[in-house]
Amino acid sequence: MRKCFAIVSVGLRQMLADPMYLVFTLGLPLMMTWAMSFLPKEAGIYEMASLGVLVMFVALNLITSAGSILEERQNGTWQRILTSATSYWAIMAGYFIRLFLVAATQAAILLLSGKFLFGAPWNHGYLELVVVLAIYIFAMTGLGLFLAGLLKTQGQVQAVAMAIVMIGTMLGDVFFPIENPSGVIKIIAAISPQSWAAHALRDILTLGVSLSSLVVPLLWMTGLGMLLIIAGVLRIKIEA
Amino acid sequence: MNVLDVVNVKKAFGSRQAVDGVSLSISEGEIFGLLGPNGAGKTTTLSLISGLLRPHTGTITIGGWNVVTQATKAKALLGVVPQEPALYSQLSAEANLRFWGTMNGLQTADLTNAVKHALTVVGLTDRAQERVAKYSGGMKRRLNIAAGIIHNPKLLIMDEPTVGVDPQSRNHILQTVKNLREQGTAIIYTSHYVEEVEDLCDRVTVMDQGKVISAGTVSQLLNKAGQYQELVITVNGTKATSLMQLTALPGIKEIFTINNVYKILTSNAEQVLPLTYETILAEGMQVSAIHIHKPSLESLFLKLTGRTLRDQ
Ligand SMILES: Nc1ncnc2c1ncn2[C@@H]1O[C@H](COP(=O)(O)OP(=O)(O)OP(=O)(O)O)[C@@H](O)[C@H]1O
Ligand SMILES: [Mg+2]
Repeated sequence: MRKCFAIVSVGLRQMLADPMYLVFTLGLPLMMTWAMSFLPKEAGIYEMASLGVLVMFVALNLITSAGSILEERQNGTWQRILTSATSYWAIMAGYFIRLFLVAATQAAILLLSGKFLFGAPWNHGYLELVVVLAIYIFAMTGLGLFLAGLLKTQGQVQAVAMAIVMIGTMLGDVFFPIENPSGVIKIIAAISPQSWAAHALRDILTLGVSLSSLVVPLLWMTGLGMLLIIAGVLRIKIEA
Repeated sequence: MNVLDVVNVKKAFGSRQAVDGVSLSISEGEIFGLLGPNGAGKTTTLSLISGLLRPHTGTITIGGWNVVTQATKAKALLGVVPQEPALYSQLSAEANLRFWGTMNGLQTADLTNAVKHALTVVGLTDRAQERVAKYSGGMKRRLNIAAGIIHNPKLLIMDEPTVGVDPQSRNHILQTVKNLREQGTAIIYTSHYVEEVEDLCDRVTVMDQGKVISAGTVSQLLNKAGQYQELVITVNGTKATSLMQLTALPGIKEIFTINNVYKILTSNAEQVLPLTYETILAEGMQVSAIHIHKPSLESLFLKLTGRTLRDQ
């Protein structure tokens, strides 16, 4: 447990030392959330836009943070951790918690500043919000670990991050409702976790939807996350 | 009991046999040299010992624990100093050492003391609070060593710890290695600096193309080299015809041609030099340099493989 925590803390300190990382994970999305607060406050539009920002930047953050595992493999600290007297599962748990924590903190900061700094009109559904976000972050952490196992370089991670985030978010009907979506758009919206998360969050905040009616997509996302984590963890182990 | 036993280990990458049936064992307080040219399989052998790679066949035990099936027990006895410094550049030296100590099971006061001690050993106490990113190459290598010895391992693996290091850091590192031996640490030391290995190591294994080609104490290996001296003559272009003439000269044991260099193994370089020189000039070649080396592991390697340990 102490070793897990050490992996979390050393990684966070290493990542936070890079100012660009803070700009991309907090600076940019905060600016966008603020800009969105000038949108008309009519039901649904503001929520869609600001939650879209949240969902997109959480995805971006997780995929690039997973790239930090690749960076560790390149500079040898990953191998050195593997040669220490620490079990493989404790090591992977450390990396998982590191990623999850980074995204959860980011999401919390964006939501709280949306509400208290930029006057978002939300006043109910907080429990549902936390559950949906936690499961979304879990699924995206899985994706991050999976990509860390699959890809070789930081550059590849960035390319894939762009592709997944752009396609999943822009075409996934996240920011703006697409009228009469065509076949491809429908498919992307159906499989993109960003699309699920953004719609679930909007419905919670505007329509007051309860968790029980979200059970199916939430189970989907949990299952997807677990599959990706298992695949990623096994893949990274074989690589080692 | 041996600290390390490697028995007939093989490892291939695709069709390339990187380690091909290597066996070796190391006992307490021994510095064991692993010598070989680039690509010989040194780092791969060390990765197998530290459990980063799995052997296709063969077994490796550290203190009796199998590194594959009893990995955590085996790794608790192991310290690794990788070829390239493996450190967190944005953290201070002290924070790095605290991390590596924690990962090896140290905590509370033990951890603090171990960090202090390791910093003293490598002479970085004054700079402990600085970020590693600001360190010079030599200082990073010293910190890299500190991270490998923080938990006082029984077996320490050092992969070319003195490559690209200034003379001062180099001497410091060599002295550190000797001090560790005094404390009973068994050390595997790889290098392609022959002088360093001759000076430091108790026993040496020479590897080439994944195989052990010679093993023994330094003096045993030097005996195998046959007390040959090495006469190295650089010319403007070697010729096959002159090679035959040179080989026929009295006192010359063997000649190897490497690029435009004749490497001549002889029991007395000064004696054969005049005739050799004449022969080369008579062939119309120009001599640009002549060197005489005392018998060394380098000449043994040359004798065994016809190649040099270090890239020219
Ligand atoms: N991960 C890998 N994948 C494929 N081939 C590899 C891998 N690691 C090493 N090799 C190959 O195995 C052989 C042995 O490499 P190794 O790194 O063990 O040599 P070395 O003796 O440490 O050399 P050097 O002195 O340059 O460090 C080389 O031919 C190398 O190209
Ligand atoms: Mg090597």
